[in-house]
Amino acid sequence: MSIKRFAGIAAGLMLSTASFGAMATDLVIYHSWSAPPEIAALNVIKGELEAKGHTWTDIAIPHDTGSNVNLMSLITGGQPPNVFMESNPGVYRDIAGMGLGFPLTQWFNDNAIVDKLPAAVAASISVDGEIVKVPQALHIDGMLYYNMEVAKAAGVDPAAWDSTDAMFADFQKIRDAGYAPLAVGSQPFQVGYLTHALVAAVAGPDVYKKIYGEEVDPTALDDPNFAKALETLRLFANEAGPEAQNRPWNETTNEVITGKALMQIHGDWMKGEWLGAGKVAGTDFGCIEIPGAQAVVVTVDAWGLLGGQAEDVQNAELDFASVVLDPESQAKFAAAKGSTPVRLDAPAESLDACSTEVLRILEDPAQQVQNPHNTADADWQDSIWNVVFNFWSDSSMTVEDAIAEMKDNYDTILG
Amino acid sequence: MTHLSIAQKALGAEVAVRSAPYFPRKKKAITGRSIAVIVFLSICALFFCVPLYVVITTSFKTMEQIREGAMFALPNVWTLEAWDHAWNSACSGTRCEGLKVGFWNSVYILIPSLILSIGLSIITGYALALWNVKWAGPFLFVLFICAFVPFQIIMFPLISMTAAMKVYGSIWGVAIIHAILAMPVLTLIFRNYYKDIPQEIMSAAVMDSGSFWKIFFEIILPMSGNILIVVLILQITSIWNDYLIGVTFGGLGGQPMTVNLANLITISTGTVRYNDNMAAALLTAIPPLVIYFFVGKLFVQGITAGAIKG
Repeated sequence: MSIKRFAGIAAGLMLSTASFGAMATDLVIYHSWSAPPEIAALNVIKGELEAKGHTWTDIAIPHDTGSNVNLMSLITGGQPPNVFMESNPGVYRDIAGMGLGFPLTQWFNDNAIVDKLPAAVAASISVDGEIVKVPQALHIDGMLYYNMEVAKAAGVDPAAWDSTDAMFADFQKIRDAGYAPLAVGSQPFQVGYLTHALVAAVAGPDVYKKIYGEEVDPTALDDPNFAKALETLRLFANEAGPEAQNRPWNETTNEVITGKALMQIHGDWMKGEWLGAGKVAGTDFGCIEIPGAQAVVVTVDAWGLLGGQAEDVQNAELDFASVVLDPESQAKFAAAKGSTPVRLDAPAESLDACSTEVLRILEDPAQQVQNPHNTADADWQDSIWNVVFNFWSDSSMTVEDAIAEMKDNYDTILG
Repeated sequence: MTHLSIAQKALGAEVAVRSAPYFPRKKKAITGRSIAVIVFLSICALFFCVPLYVVITTSFKTMEQIREGAMFALPNVWTLEAWDHAWNSACSGTRCEGLKVGFWNSVYILIPSLILSIGLSIITGYALALWNVKWAGPFLFVLFICAFVPFQIIMFPLISMTAAMKVYGSIWGVAIIHAILAMPVLTLIFRNYYKDIPQEIMSAAVMDSGSFWKIFFEIILPMSGNILIVVLILQITSIWNDYLIGVTFGGLGGQPMTVNLANLITISTGTVRYNDNMAAALLTAIPPLVIYFFVGKLFVQGITAGAIKG
């Protein structure tokens, strides 16, 4: 049976793949999501896409940030997906170089969407001056989530803190009440994210853009505010006991959910963990930006569309984009995934307390910056992660040492 | 030897092994030293079993208990929920039909890959060992060098080649790549095994006007049982556990179970369901384990029969 049967299967596969090009409204969607909240969110847009008469063929392959090898191999192999989840600008440059880019500036202008997006989102969807991404959802890299019950028991009100100094001033009081004030996880990824969130919050957007932007300005490393951000990072590191060693962020979140610690400062995907434990935003847990933050760091999940296709296929892809960016579906998607809509005009009544707060913060264009993965040179960013993780782990390393090492790395990598 | 029947003598090698001189050993008393060795070995075994213990117990726990954090505790309530979820309803993308989809894909990939890779290298090994092939030496040397080329650096050229052959993104694409990548090592294994076959057998066979294929199927193949078991196990394990080749060449519908598993456990910004992950990992690991369990003894025989020793 085997040979014939497999030949049959193989032939069937080839036929079916060949037919994707012919059937105009069948879209192949490439993404990396498989967790239940992510699937629930995808099903929102899948349903609406199907309502427009198109079909959704799914290909899910997990990958971390960096070069998206599987996407590139599908494209090289001649089976490019019509729509792909990708944020890395380098991938868009490669795809445009192959003649498969799909410039969207005109479409965004025609539909008057850009004004509805927060400034950091609008900035993140362009590559080399042309809009090429369809933003789906956003996360803030450093939000402060706290357990309201613990706050009450310890007699503190995190929402009243107006600076990190005010926050640290309350720590003794929280300890006296028998709680850990701050849960942290000692992992390069968490420390790296915390660092850039603190640079944006404490040192401000100008310093942030000079260090994490496309063009690095090394003089920003000498800025006293950058040193202050690192000093704040040291105060966070002091809260890391041996139990925090290599503890994943979600286990750290559980310290807060179970009431052992008051709060955690991390990306607001923490919300998924809280919702998973059956807690309600604004009732069981509060979410605020880092006290006194000058800016927040915005991470955007975005889709790319495949260009160089027949017109009916490209039109179907644009239908996909309009489904994604529809304010109603934005709100439904965000509610399912635990993220925040990318449109400032998403219907307010369907947002939870945390998303409402995030959209309030993002109304101010001066108060937001992009995630470094979108802008910074990958080697340079890696080197920052290395330095700050050593700094975090070695309490004898001074702020001056760390800055000197970063300068060294700058000279090696970008100098 | 005298009490052996003629039929038994005719069995040759079998008899030789059975009638080897047998010296009964004295039973030794258990000494302090051997106790120490046993204790040490038990500790080593336990050390390796601890992660396995955690994986297995976690897969039977509920998420509520896992959140409490006592990693080594036994499940409060033993439940098969995680196993059921992983097999039947775990999501890989928007398709929530569990690992069983990938399981069957893996089986469909495994069989043609096995046939192609073993078929290709057994013939090559046979030709190189027993026939006068021109440039056999340099060819072997090149094969040997190829065994050290990492797959990753030739991945994109291979994608272009399979795309040109119109097999990219199908199970056949995956099978061909498995066959090509396994060829250097497998050919060397077969070639070294056949090298030990006495030249006289070949001479006699050629004199009986056996053709290349006739000699292979009627004389060589029946002698290859041991080595085939070795290669079969090596290949089943490596093809089943492969992620990169399957994910790269499987295209839209041909992705193996390991890709489903990776989808299940790789979570960027969601909650982590450890019990499902552990059950899924165990489900994926079971097939090669079963194979080892059944043919492990033959595997050891095959290795000691000559092929890849020394």
